[in-house]
Amino acid sequence: MLGKSNRAYSNGKNPFHKKVDFKETLIVKLIFIAASLAIVVSLAILYTLLNGSIEFFLSPKVSILQFFTGTKWTPNGTDPSFGILPLLSGTVLIAGGSILIATPLGIGAALYLTQFSNKKIGSIAKPIIELLAGIPSIVYGFFALIVISPILREYFGASYFNAASAIIVMSVMILPIIVSVSDDSLRAVPRELKEASLAMGATRWETAIKVVMPAASSGIIASILLGLARALGETMVVALAAGNVARLTLNPLDQVQTMTAYIAQVATGDIPPGLAVSAAFAVGLVLFAITYIINFIAGRVVLRIQNAGKTASNKNKKLNLKKSLKIGKDTKILSSLNTNIEVKKIQSETTLGFRHKVAKVGIVLVGSCLIFASVFLGFLMYSILGQGISRLNINFLTSYPSANPAIAGIYPVILGSIYLVALAMIFSLPVSVGAAVYLTEFSKDNTYTRILRRLIQNLAGVPSIVFGLVGLAVFVRLFGFGTSILAGSLTLSLMIMPVIIVTTEEALKAIPMSFREAARGLGATKWQTVRHHVIPYALPGTLTGSILALSRAIGETAPILFIASVFAKVAPDSIFDGFLALPVTIFFWTRHPKVEFQNLAASTILVLLIILFAMNLLAIIIRQRSQANRDW
Amino acid sequence: MESKEKMDDGSLIISNLNVYYSDMLAVDKVSLSIPKNKVTSFIGPSGCGKSTLLRALNRMNEEIEGCRMEGKIIWKGMNILDPKVDPVALRSKIGMVFQKPNPFPRSIYDNIAYGPRIHGINNKKDLDAIVEKSLKDAAIWEEVSDRLVESAMGLSGGQQQRLCIARALAIQPDIILMDEPCSALDPIATTKIEDLIDELKKKYTVVIVTHNMQQAARISDYTGLMYLGKLIEFGETQQIFENPKDELTEKYIMGRFG
Repeated sequence: MLGKSNRAYSNGKNPFHKKVDFKETLIVKLIFIAASLAIVVSLAILYTLLNGSIEFFLSPKVSILQFFTGTKWTPNGTDPSFGILPLLSGTVLIAGGSILIATPLGIGAALYLTQFSNKKIGSIAKPIIELLAGIPSIVYGFFALIVISPILREYFGASYFNAASAIIVMSVMILPIIVSVSDDSLRAVPRELKEASLAMGATRWETAIKVVMPAASSGIIASILLGLARALGETMVVALAAGNVARLTLNPLDQVQTMTAYIAQVATGDIPPGLAVSAAFAVGLVLFAITYIINFIAGRVVLRIQNAGKTASNKNKKLNLKKSLKIGKDTKILSSLNTNIEVKKIQSETTLGFRHKVAKVGIVLVGSCLIFASVFLGFLMYSILGQGISRLNINFLTSYPSANPAIAGIYPVILGSIYLVALAMIFSLPVSVGAAVYLTEFSKDNTYTRILRRLIQNLAGVPSIVFGLVGLAVFVRLFGFGTSILAGSLTLSLMIMPVIIVTTEEALKAIPMSFREAARGLGATKWQTVRHHVIPYALPGTLTGSILALSRAIGETAPILFIASVFAKVAPDSIFDGFLALPVTIFFWTRHPKVEFQNLAASTILVLLIILFAMNLLAIIIRQRSQANRDW
Repeated sequence: MESKEKMDDGSLIISNLNVYYSDMLAVDKVSLSIPKNKVTSFIGPSGCGKSTLLRALNRMNEEIEGCRMEGKIIWKGMNILDPKVDPVALRSKIGMVFQKPNPFPRSIYDNIAYGPRIHGINNKKDLDAIVEKSLKDAAIWEEVSDRLVESAMGLSGGQQQRLCIARALAIQPDIILMDEPCSALDPIATTKIEDLIDELKKKYTVVIVTHNMQQAARISDYTGLMYLGKLIEFGETQQIFENPKDELTEKYIMGRFG
């Protein structure tokens, strides 16, 4: 018997011994490297900002103390002064102002959606909020400068560029973040708490304000912080509408410059090279630090909410245990109803009418937040359509840009944007999917993985203009790609990779564990399991997420502001050629003093919006198809 | 004559009650009257509609989208299902205790004071008195009197549930509805709640839904068995358990289904 079984392995190989599959090892190594790119990208950001800042601070004309305490920011001229306080005050004025408007609006809308609306209203309101979130910031910038600003000039005596127009428009821009994060946390409040309050005769308004909102408070705070971080990092609205003069003022009718707007000003070549350009890196470092801290705090708050359920129940268990040990002692139970304490009789009838009135007014108020958002969206669309529709014809789509607005077109601009995004897709998709597969399927829960996850999360919150600086320092200068479409698409890839990783991870996590176990149970290797039984099912989700990430990339202006050309007349022939891109062209035409060019900007916005709409539609169709075909 | 008297003394008279969730009929033509100052319990297998019936009594069903109620529930001479009746006013007279203890994540004191406050009592002295009395009536005063300012989330499950009962008492209701109040509790905590219910019926009408037949037998004066949305049998608890008239009731009580 023994001899026989020995003979079965006579070739010297026991089939149960581990074998090294070279291909599988290689693949796992590769996707490990893909995930580790998060470290490389983070280091590239640090390198860019520190390298530029060191160059700046080493200059004899600059002192660190003066940089942080100086009240004059005049980077041009023979005697430049670099005091960041005016840029900081401009940033605080605009971000603070817009958060002050957006917070009540956003919380109100979320309260209405979660507590008072029915499914029908929800199904109308949700797409409106999503539309507001999907509109590129360059479009908001156009709206602020061309539509809102003239109104403020007319009725409030604001200057041509002013902070107020940026504040108003940006408050709507960050509204979707506040609404969606608050909405999530309000929905997470257990139904039982709501019912407890209602069952005691509280009105739905009282329940919403006194029970549901306090229970969701940390999520609401996180939503405000995330909105604030977005407002601080936003570039295009402020670069277009708020102005290019750094002033230490808190008057919203004045023009101010924000930190991001200064970097944009450098990017657009309005500032001669030299110290003023390296100052942009120092400003970028400060901006990065501020948004990093705010995102970090917001992330911690969100994490606490997500873990709250688990830890609370654990805590309760421990407490229960303690209590149950004690119970033996206090068996002398049950006092009775004989306790003769005189209590005041509740006369709820006397206040009932008033309470119902308060509830009605309150519900109307929070509901009007949604109406405001819809009206704003309508006004924005109406203005852009009105200004841009007349030039939107086949000539415009097939001609080249020109100094003569009557014959100018955007043919190479469209091509440039398509090439740019196609290349970005080629660069980012394999790496991001690989990284996501590594993180969900292969990584161990150790410090290294946790660091990777934290870095990816942080990268998603880096202001887009900072990626612009990275593109300039790393791809244009360090790698010597110049202002080419290669450098532009690589820069965009860095920006959208975190988004694709996160959505792919979600798609992978949605695949039932039983699929993996079934395959492993049949003797498939880990990679075979993932390759045959996980990735195919996660593909639609990945694709949807990638398309949405690309639709964000195609509308992004700030990261490629340093790289995209303004005047190139033709479409690029190779990846080392310069290129035009839709959002950058919109930026320059919006700033153009001639109204004809502003109209062209509106027409170009319409083209951009149509492309975005088509991409989103494609994503929706893929999602619905896959859900319809799914039989698990 | 006797039924007329009943109607006026605060018993709940349910007639031909139907409750729908969208198209599903969850409570099917139920008629009965729930007497005042007694404990009435409803038993039956999961999904039989007993909780839905209970939640009709303070119109909590209305908080679920797509829920619709037909029929009448007469209390103090009015049909409480009448759209003209304000559910907010109704619920301040018909309190409710839920399956899972659901204290608000705030202090013990504020949990009890929440109801009186929204109903217009803001004087600290009045509130103190109500809090103390409610906690004493719910037999939890001795355990919490020295930590009223601490979070209610730190209490044990059984204590939380008695706190929730105290919270319901604080609005000075006439009727207390209880939806499987002991299903999330251990046996010791359950005993305490059952003793408490026995005390409560001296002053309140108690309607309780329970999964646990023995519990219904122990604590209630009247018992109803529900099955597939229908009220199969209703009567004095002793009669239901010792001498059921319906075959289904007998089977259920013998543990042969459900």
